[in-house]
Amino acid sequence: MDIKQTVFSSIGQKLLLATSGLIMFLLFLIPHMGGNILFLFGPDIFNSYAEHLHQLVPIVIGIEVLMMVSISVHMFMGIRVALENRTAHDKRLSQKSTKERSLAARLMPVSGGMIFIFIIKHLLDFTLRAKPVTELHGHEVNDVYGMLLDKFTQPGHVIFYVLFMVAVGLHLSHALQSAVQTYGVYVPRKGSRIKLLSKLIAIGMASTFAIIPIIAFLHTR
Amino acid sequence: MSKKISLTLKVWRQNRGEEGRFETYQAGNIDTDASFLEMLDVVNDELTLSGKEPIAFEHDCREGICGCCGSLVNGKTHGSHERTTLCQLHMRHFKDGEMIVIEPFRATAFPVIKDLIVDRSALDRIIAEGGYISVKTGNAPEASTTPVKKALAEAAMDAAECIGCGACVAACPNGAAMLFTAAKVNQYALLPQGHPERAQRVKNMVAKMDELGFGNCSNEYECAVACPKGIDVKNIAALNREFIKANLKCEK
Ligand code: FES
Repeated sequence: MDIKQTVFSSIGQKLLLATSGLIMFLLFLIPHMGGNILFLFGPDIFNSYAEHLHQLVPIVIGIEVLMMVSISVHMFMGIRVALENRTAHDKRLSQKSTKERSLAARLMPVSGGMIFIFIIKHLLDFTLRAKPVTELHGHEVNDVYGMLLDKFTQPGHVIFYVLFMVAVGLHLSHALQSAVQTYGVYVPRKGSRIKLLSKLIAIGMASTFAIIPIIAFLHTR
Repeated sequence: MSKKISLTLKVWRQNRGEEGRFETYQAGNIDTDASFLEMLDVVNDELTLSGKEPIAFEHDCREGICGCCGSLVNGKTHGSHERTTLCQLHMRHFKDGEMIVIEPFRATAFPVIKDLIVDRSALDRIIAEGGYISVKTGNAPEASTTPVKKALAEAAMDAAECIGCGACVAACPNGAAMLFTAAKVNQYALLPQGHPERAQRVKNMVAKMDELGFGNCSNEYECAVACPKGIDVKNIAALNREFIKANLKCEK
């Protein structure tokens, strides 16, 4: 059996989708959330965190490369699976009456697309911009704290960020439980702890991310 | 106590190779003790007497074991009752004067043959790829030569309950045959008799399932709600495990 057939089989495609997703979740989303929380502790801590991140450049670059690969695989397989499923499904004409499929599951391609748009905007907003400098313990450091405050003085930006975090939450709530089932761990239909955990993590992470722009906005009022 | 009810039916009519459409019929004087298919029989008698083409629908055992029957009734596979095939659905679950929409199972891999009959032979082709075990025929071997744990035997029986009606495919928003294939793979994977061909079976059956144009399972679980035999999604998890294990092994 050749590798190509395995990879592009229905289960193979979903295993790659799940794996690339989990890599992004574990190596990017979780550390990023940890970093964001430091914002709440004021400019010195947040700026020094950003500075320390700079000293870890080899690791950061390694993770960045891994992220690029994961995003590419995830998007490629996601679009492929979604298109194949559209062809395989024949639309019924009468009203469908079961509600087993969750809203989050239905919206996976939409929330996925929104996250991609968000990532680009986010990179343009913060990563790929010249950063102002400030003084920290006698050193000159990038003032990412100030940059963040500055960005979120505009309510439009705050709304955009919060809205797109809803997409992140929706995406995660189906993604986590679905990935687990794809790996062969039984996720029951009813009363599943994995499903519950998946939802709690999604809500927790999305609101932690969303709270930063809101706090920043209120801070500058 | 049985009653008589009257219903309005909106039924999908289609000839092979032609466009389909809904036709409306009146079904009067229906006994509430009648099954859904018996109700269709009554309507068909009237259609035939008035010189019209009866509604084509598939049926055989009419006791929920053969897997022939099945339609979308008001948007639900086999109607609204859990764990019930269409032939076992009774008219007492409908109200007098109710309108019922009847449509064939919909999936790209299930082309309509006529009216409510769809071609489900794609499922047979998945079976032909490994949904069996190879044994020498002859006298049945002594039962206790191959001991099987009770729990395993029961789980295998649960998977083997699948009657191959195709409701899972029709209920799936992705038109996937994952629950069906999972049940068929798992009923053998759980038993010692299924082990010799285990790896090849799952690879071949999944490859065939993909080739026939079924979609990719995205764990929506609509299939498990639709299944008249209550096949559980744990079989899908087990199929995923079987697939991973089979592909990690190097041997053919
Ligand atoms: S006719 Fe056999 S299962 Fe319904």
